[in-house]
Amino acid sequence: MSDPAPILWLIPALPLAAAIACGLAAFAYADFKRYSHWPCVVGIAAAFLFALVALVIVFRRDGAAAVLTYFPWFQAGNVDVGLSLRADGLTAVMLVMITFISTLIAIFSIGYMHGDPGYPRFFAEFSLFVFFMTGLVLANNFIVLYACWEGVGLCSYLLIGFWFARPSAAAAARKAFLVTRLGDIGLFLGILVLWAYHPERSLEFHQIFRPAVIQHYASEGVLLPACLLIFVGCVGKSAQFPLHVWLPDAMEGPTPVSALIHAATMVTAGVYLVARCMPLFGQEELALLVVASIGCFTALLAASIAVTQTDLKRVLAYSTVSQLGYMFLALGCGVRSERLAVFAVTAAIFHLFTHAFFKALLFLAAGSVMHAMGDVIDMRRFGGLRKVLPTTHWTFLCGAGALSGFPLLSGFWSKDDILAANYAASHGTGGGAYMLLFVVAMTTAGITAFYTARAYFMTFHGPQRLPPEAHGHAHESPPVMTWPLMILAGGALLVGIVLGPTGLFERFLERYWMKGGFPASISPEHAGGHFSFVVMLLSTVLALAGIGLAYWMYVKAPGMAPLLAYRIKGLYQASRSKFYFDEIYGATVVGPANAAAHVLRVFDQYILDGLVDLIGSLPSAVGYVLRPAQNGLVQFYALLMVLGLSGFVVAVLLR
Amino acid sequence: MSPPALENYLIVGAILFALGLVGFITRRNMIILFLCAEMMVLAVAVNLTAFARYHGNLGGQVLTLFILTVAACEAAIALVLVLMLYRKKHTLDVSVWQELREPDQEPIEDEEPLPPEPPPPTWPHLPPSGPEPEHELEETSHV
Repeated sequence: MSDPAPILWLIPALPLAAAIACGLAAFAYADFKRYSHWPCVVGIAAAFLFALVALVIVFRRDGAAAVLTYFPWFQAGNVDVGLSLRADGLTAVMLVMITFISTLIAIFSIGYMHGDPGYPRFFAEFSLFVFFMTGLVLANNFIVLYACWEGVGLCSYLLIGFWFARPSAAAAARKAFLVTRLGDIGLFLGILVLWAYHPERSLEFHQIFRPAVIQHYASEGVLLPACLLIFVGCVGKSAQFPLHVWLPDAMEGPTPVSALIHAATMVTAGVYLVARCMPLFGQEELALLVVASIGCFTALLAASIAVTQTDLKRVLAYSTVSQLGYMFLALGCGVRSERLAVFAVTAAIFHLFTHAFFKALLFLAAGSVMHAMGDVIDMRRFGGLRKVLPTTHWTFLCGAGALSGFPLLSGFWSKDDILAANYAASHGTGGGAYMLLFVVAMTTAGITAFYTARAYFMTFHGPQRLPPEAHGHAHESPPVMTWPLMILAGGALLVGIVLGPTGLFERFLERYWMKGGFPASISPEHAGGHFSFVVMLLSTVLALAGIGLAYWMYVKAPGMAPLLAYRIKGLYQASRSKFYFDEIYGATVVGPANAAAHVLRVFDQYILDGLVDLIGSLPSAVGYVLRPAQNGLVQFYALLMVLGLSGFVVAVLLR
Repeated sequence: MSPPALENYLIVGAILFALGLVGFITRRNMIILFLCAEMMVLAVAVNLTAFARYHGNLGGQVLTLFILTVAACEAAIALVLVLMLYRKKHTLDVSVWQELREPDQEPIEDEEPLPPEPPPPTWPHLPPSGPEPEHELEETSHV
């Protein structure tokens, strides 16, 4: 059999074709529009099959990345950008995860979006997103990656603002686009730095991640700025601390979108990019420390906001921010030794992988709750739903268990790897900062368990309450929605235990990605060995304590929560209002920008427009003066001609 | 005897031109206006011939021939136009075409309008000549 690598282009191409087909269906007859999910589901499912083929390709190549340049995209001066794709272990893992989750969420959306007037548009934008996302992870050079990076941002904008007639959705879409755009500027500058200092002016990954080139960057002193600039892009896309404000608002979009884009895939693009650039980051310990600190701080911040939110989707959104923080923390822990770097990066990607399953599951379950509750998502307005929505309840429980790090579920294994990597990083010289991060991460693990359990108990336990919007016939969702839930629940339960403790995931990434992708050679033996029983025990205890506390506060003694909130009123209010980040940004950035816009608008309207209007009014003023001459009398015209002629003659004579 | 000086011809041309100009500005009958315009053209033609003779070449005379040809065409077209305008308003007074002024301009009142045209003469209606044809009286009065 010949090498099947050239078919890689089909993986993004199929969703793109599906997007076009769905987009055309929007112009079809109404009867036909009901079937517009077919291209999307079929296209993405086929992309999933080809992603499996990509996995096979990676296996057959045994560690050597498949790099394919299909055609030169553009050439200008020193810039020579080819449309090149790459398949290695990391790409294959991301592809399989993205296409698998997308397929399930597309199927879920058939039920969730049923009857929406924008049904074809939804699936068109959904497929377009999958196109860009698969392109992003397949890209082998920074320009293709950047193009797809912006593409997913565009799809995120379109899908957050899917119900664009709602002002809040339009505002959230705008906010998401602008905030991530801030980060994208950093990413682009980082790419430019890498390009400008590259000895051969190349933007291809395999040209940049060569040891000699990295040494060159380091000797030029641009390695740290480049890493930090790229990380700025990742901070924007993955909603980390200074730029995290857009992700919770992004919940204005349809819930499947929240599940796919704002939990499972797009927001992990930042983690992917830092992992991809690990050869660069790994050489710069300060960059790693920045990554780890930002990640850890975000994890704690988002978790402490999630504790008091009452909107189920917002709790999940903040938990996403928090878990992404964990992933960055892990990425930043690969200091000092190659083995630790491998372990830390693997832990981050492993958490990314398991997180995609259980977070997509949680969001879809929340969507199922919304579907049954008539679009009510405020946890104070419903409760005790476990009898009404049995399947949703069980699947949500699986996801919540995995998120809170309940022993043996998938989140447990991956989070434990992260904590172990962090713990390992805190030994040795300069480990003090990492020890601090470790303490914070541990605390966050406990808080995570608490707020996850709180959301679960508030939604599914206690006395049964249904909002009036449910119209008294709240019922379990149709099978097209529950089946994806059950499959994802299986993933949330089993992915961790199958891939984690067996070391499958780690060995796969190490052998098929890092061996070829990392500059220094990695010892052939198992790179793990940072597994720590103490850390595992401690995190388990914290998770169980968090769950227990939530059980006590929200089921056993329901009066406790308001009482506690009253006792620590200041802290509660601060957390409830998201530590006033929106207000601070509103006062420092948005307000002045608005004021400047207002001033410029006045300038434009009165001064520039006035000038143009003045020039425009000149001909009509002249016309007003000359108009009486046109009085319709031929003799008068003749007289004017004579006078004009005599004037002319006099002028000539007197000259 | 020497030929008359150039000035004499030019004076004749100027007089002709001035007459035509004054006529064009003061009269309102469209045909008269046209004749006045012709007069001005011919004044120019006189000048041209005078200059031709003065300079001793034929350039001015050739130009005059052109002017005459053009004036003939002009006459044909202008008279047709006058006829068409007359058919619209049943008058040759050019001031009735004031309505072609700019839309927001006030019309100029004619202080000395032309006397109204005499009504067309009414000719007596004569029966067809010849003897009355033969017909049966009974059949015609069957109403």
